[in-house]
Amino acid sequence: MRFGTTFDVIVIGGGHAGTEAALAAARAGASTLLLTQSIEQVGAMSCNPAVGGIGKGHLVREIDALGGVMARATDRAGIQFRTLNASKGPAVRATRAQADRRLYRQAIRGVLENQPGLQLFQQEAADLLIEGDRVRGVVTLTGVRIEARTVVLTVGTFLGGRIHVGLDNYAGGRAGDPPSNRLAEKLRERMPRVGRLKTGTPPRIDGRSIDYDGLVAQYSDDPRPVFSFLGRHNEHPKQIPCHITHTNERTHELISEASDRSPMFTGQINGVGPRYCPSVEDKVRRFADRSSHQVFIEPEGLDTHEVYPNGISTSLPFDVQVAFVRTIRGFENAHITRPGYAIEYDYFDPRDLRPSLQTRAVAGLYFAGQINGTTGYEEAAAQGLVAGLNAAREAAQLDPWLPARSGSYIGVLIDDLVTRGTSEPYRMFTSRAEHRLVLREDNADTRLTPLGREFGLVDDERWRFFEAKQHAISSELERLSTTRIQPAQVPAEWSARVLQQPALARDCLAMELLKRPEVSHADLVELIGDAPDAGDDRIDAQLRRDIEVRARYSGYVERAEAEIDRARRNDTLPLPEDLDYRGLAGLSNEIRQKLHEQRPATLGQAARTPGVTPAAVSILLVHLKRRGALG
Amino acid sequence: MEHQPAYRSNGREVALLTQPHTIAAAATPPGRGGIGIVRISGQQVAQIAHGLLGELPAPRRAHLAEFRDAAGAPIDRGLALFFPGPNSYTGEDTLELQGHGGVAVMNALLARVFELGARRAQPGEFTQRAYLNGKLDLAQAEAVADLIDASSSSAARAALRSLEGEFSRRVHELVEALTQLRVHVEAAIDFPEEEIDFLADTALHARAAEVSESLAALLREARQGRVLTEGLTVVIAGAPNAGKSTLLNRLAGYDAAIVTDVPGTTRDLLRERLDIDGLPLHVIDTAGLRESHDPIEREGMRRATEAMARADRVLLLMDATAADRKRNLAAQLARLPAGVPVTLVFNKMDCAGAKPPSVPDTSGAVASQMAISALTGEGIEALRQHLKECAGYSGAEAGTLSARARHVEALLRVQEQIDQARQQLEQRRAGELMAEHLKRAQEALGEITGEVHSDELLGRIFSSFCIGK
Repeated sequence: MRFGTTFDVIVIGGGHAGTEAALAAARAGASTLLLTQSIEQVGAMSCNPAVGGIGKGHLVREIDALGGVMARATDRAGIQFRTLNASKGPAVRATRAQADRRLYRQAIRGVLENQPGLQLFQQEAADLLIEGDRVRGVVTLTGVRIEARTVVLTVGTFLGGRIHVGLDNYAGGRAGDPPSNRLAEKLRERMPRVGRLKTGTPPRIDGRSIDYDGLVAQYSDDPRPVFSFLGRHNEHPKQIPCHITHTNERTHELISEASDRSPMFTGQINGVGPRYCPSVEDKVRRFADRSSHQVFIEPEGLDTHEVYPNGISTSLPFDVQVAFVRTIRGFENAHITRPGYAIEYDYFDPRDLRPSLQTRAVAGLYFAGQINGTTGYEEAAAQGLVAGLNAAREAAQLDPWLPARSGSYIGVLIDDLVTRGTSEPYRMFTSRAEHRLVLREDNADTRLTPLGREFGLVDDERWRFFEAKQHAISSELERLSTTRIQPAQVPAEWSARVLQQPALARDCLAMELLKRPEVSHADLVELIGDAPDAGDDRIDAQLRRDIEVRARYSGYVERAEAEIDRARRNDTLPLPEDLDYRGLAGLSNEIRQKLHEQRPATLGQAARTPGVTPAAVSILLVHLKRRGALG
Repeated sequence: MEHQPAYRSNGREVALLTQPHTIAAAATPPGRGGIGIVRISGQQVAQIAHGLLGELPAPRRAHLAEFRDAAGAPIDRGLALFFPGPNSYTGEDTLELQGHGGVAVMNALLARVFELGARRAQPGEFTQRAYLNGKLDLAQAEAVADLIDASSSSAARAALRSLEGEFSRRVHELVEALTQLRVHVEAAIDFPEEEIDFLADTALHARAAEVSESLAALLREARQGRVLTEGLTVVIAGAPNAGKSTLLNRLAGYDAAIVTDVPGTTRDLLRERLDIDGLPLHVIDTAGLRESHDPIEREGMRRATEAMARADRVLLLMDATAADRKRNLAAQLARLPAGVPVTLVFNKMDCAGAKPPSVPDTSGAVASQMAISALTGEGIEALRQHLKECAGYSGAEAGTLSARARHVEALLRVQEQIDQARQQLEQRRAGELMAEHLKRAQEALGEITGEVHSDELLGRIFSSFCIGK
C-alpha cells in the first residue's frame, strides 16, 4: 500500500536524535513524517534519567539556542538541577538536571504534536526505497510505502541489537523492544564499514526497599539553574534530591568471583564500550587498588518509586546482581525491579558521512545519533537537529549548514566524527574543543540564535527575547565602559569587603574594575546603581552573568577570535568532489590514500585528518590554485 | 590588500590568499662567510621595518641602516631593501636585510624580526606564496609541490637530528611532565563528579613548578649555545679500503684516523668535529660495509648504518681504480638506509688517470657525484664547497641549525605559557585559564615533538583515574 503524500523529510526513530530532527525539519519548512515503532516511547530516556553535564550541557544550550526542544523539555521535567564546575570559571560551568522520565516524554510529545508541518506515524521501518544512489522513501514492516525527498535515520541501538544478561543473550533494541534487523542488512549492503559498540545499564531498584538513613543527599543548587534561555523557575516541577552511596570491598569480591560468568570477560561481548562509563565489573578489574566507587541514586520520577543507581551498570547474571547490590550501604534489602544488561549494536563508520551528516553512499539519506558511534542523549539530539535541518534544506534545494568547530560544540562533535571517526562510543568533553573559552553555555544564544533565525528554526518568541537581551547587554556594556569611578565615591566599607584594600587607589572605568576577579557585577551595582530594568527577570540574570564573563575572559576571547579568523580561511575552501588525490605530485602515498578514502569537504577538514601534515596542506593549496579553484 | 586575488563562494567574495602571517627566514646558508640575508614577507613588513630600522626604506632602493634590537642597540649594520607588493618575489610586501652573516648575528637578527611579529617560514613557503599570488607560472604547480615536499622532508630529517641525545631526552621528559600536568587539570575540569579535584590540590602547584624549573634549566643551557652550535652531520661510507679514513684525515688536516692498507682497520665510528668557513661539521668515519663474521666489525657496521640514517649527507666513497664498479656501487647503495642524500665520491683519482670514471646510476639514489684524491688533496676544495651547499639547501631553512633554533624558539613560547598557567592557578585560582595556557604550551611543544591530540589526553585520563558514573 502506498501512503498518499510525498514528504520532504521522513525521520525514522523517535529518540532524542529523531525528535530534534523531526522538529528542526518541520520548523525549517519541510513537510515531515516522524516514523516510530512506538509513539508511547517517543522521547524515552533509555539510559539514566538525566540531561546535561560537562560538555553535554553545552550541547543542550546550543540546541536550545537553535530552537530545539531538549532544554525546554528538561525545564518542564527536571526534578533536580545543578551547575557543575560552579567553582571553576564560567567557560567550563555546565548545567545538569535529573528528569522525571514521564514528564520528559510528555513534554517532548506535546511539542511534537503541536508542531505544524509534522506528522507522527507508528510503524516499524523495514526497508529503504533507493533508486540508483538516491533515497526515495521508506517501506514499513506491514508493507506501507511512504515516499520522501530525504530520509533521516536515527535508530539508536536498534540496528543488529543484542542484549546480554550474564551468559544469556537475545536480539533486542532496548529491553522490551524488538531490534531492526532487516534495515540493518539493507544498510550493510551499501555501507560496508560497520563496527560494533556496547553500552550498559545498571539494575533498577525499588526505592521503598532502600534505607536512605546516613546516605548523603544531594539537592538542587541554590541558586537553581534553568536549562533553556527561555526557561523559568516556575516551570520546574517539585524538586527532590539524589543520594550518594558507595560500593565496598565485599561488593568487589562478589563481582571478581563471578568474572567467569560475565559476558564482558568470556568473549561473548566484542563491542567496544565507553571508557568513561565502564561497567562495574570493568571498574573492579581495571582499578583493583580502589576499594570503593561512588553510586549516585537517581530518582526515576516523582510518581514512581523506581530509582536508577548510576555507577553500577553491569551485564553479570541476575543472581550476582542481586548479591552484589545488597552489599552496598542502603541497598541491604534492595528489590531489583529490572535487571541490568549490556547491549551490543551496529554503528556505521561516521567517516562515510559528509559534514552535513548525509551519507556518501546514498544521496538524500542522513544519519544521526548512536548509529554514528556516539553515546548520550545530548550528542544524539545535536546530530538530529543538524541532520533534520540539512534534510529539510536539501529538500528545499538550499545549501546545508556545516557547523564550524570554532562556533559550537555541535561543530566539534560533527567534525570529530566525520574527520577522525571513533572506535568507542563518542561522548562530548570540553577538552575536545580548541576554543573552550569561546564555546560557553552562557553565550550559546549569541553564537547560534541568529543563525537559527535565518534557518527558520527560531520562532518569534525566542527571537524577541534574544533581541531584548542583546539590547540590554550592549547598553550595560556601554554604561560600564563610560562610567568612571572616583576613589572618593567608593565607601571604605566597600573597599575593605570587596577589594580587601582600604581604598580604591586611583580612578578607573567601571568595566576595568569588573576585570578584577574579586569584583562582581552586583558589587559594581552598589557603587553605580543598577542597569535599567529590562522588564524580564530572565534577562536580568543572564545579563549579569554575560557581563562578568566578558570581563573575566577579556583578552583571551579576542585572541581566540583572531585564531578562529585565521583558521576559517581553510574551512571556507572547498575541495572538489572529483579531485584525484592519487595523482597529486608531492604527496606521500600514505597521505594520498588517506585523502582518497576520506574525501574531505574542505581544506580545513583535510588538515585535521589524522596523518595529514602541514606540508601536505600547502601542496593541496598549490594544486587547487592550478585547477583554478582559487580564482 | 586589494591586489590579492579573491575567491568566490556562495556569491560572497572572500580575499582568501591574504596570508595571515608575516614570514621570515635566512635566505643564505649558515656559516661565517660573506653576507647573510634575511628575507621577510607579509602584511607586517612595514611595521617590522619601523621597529628594526626606525623607518620604512624607499621602495626598491638600497638603504644603509643599523638593525636594532628592542633596546635600540645595534645587532648589525647592512643594507635594507623594501619591495612593496605586488611587485615582489612573493607578491606581498617584502623586506630584505643584507647583513654580515655569521651564525650568532643571523640568529639575533631573526629573533628580533620574530619579536616584531613575523614567524619563521616553513620550508618552501616563500615560493608557495609567490605561486599562490600568481608570480610563478601555473605550469609550475608540480615543481612547487615537489619543492615543498622535498624541503619539508629534509626539514623533518633535520628536526629529527636536532632531537638527538641528551636534548631529546630532556625534551621528551618535558612533554611527559606537561602531559601529566594537563591530564590532572583536564580531568578535574571534565569530571567534576569523580572526586578528583586536583585544582584544589597543592600537589598540582608543585608539579607545575617542577615543569617550569626543568624547562628553565634546558633553556639556560640552550642559550649558552650548547645545543645551537651543532652543524651538519656528514657520514663517510664505502667499501673497506676505499680510503674513508684518509679522507677524514684530509678534511681534518691532521691524522684523526689510523690508516693502513688492511681492509677493516676502522671498526668503530670515528667522530671528528671540523669547521669549514664557520660551518660546524661533524664527520663520522664508519667501518667499511662488507660481509663479515667478526662480531666486533659487524657491530661497527651496525653502528655505521645507524649513523647514516641520521646523517645530513652520506659521502659514499668508491675506489676509482677498482674493477666492476657498477655492481659494486649497486651493492653499496643497497646497504645504505633509504632516503639519505648521497654524494658519490670517486677516490684515488691520482691513480685512475685523467677522466673521472662514470657509473650510470640507475637507482636515482645518488644526488651528486665528485672525483677526488684524498691522498694528494685533489678535488678536496670542491668537496668542501659541496658540503657547504648541502648545509644551506633551500635557503638554509631545512638545516639542523635552523631546526635547533626553531626548537629553542618553541621552548621559549612553552616557558611563557607555563609561567602564565602558574600565575592563573596561584593568583586567581582560575583552573580553566590555567588549562588554556597549558594547552598553548603543549601546542608550542608539539611543534618539536608532534601534536598531542585531545583523544590521547582523554585516553590518559581514563587509564589514570577511574571515571564513570
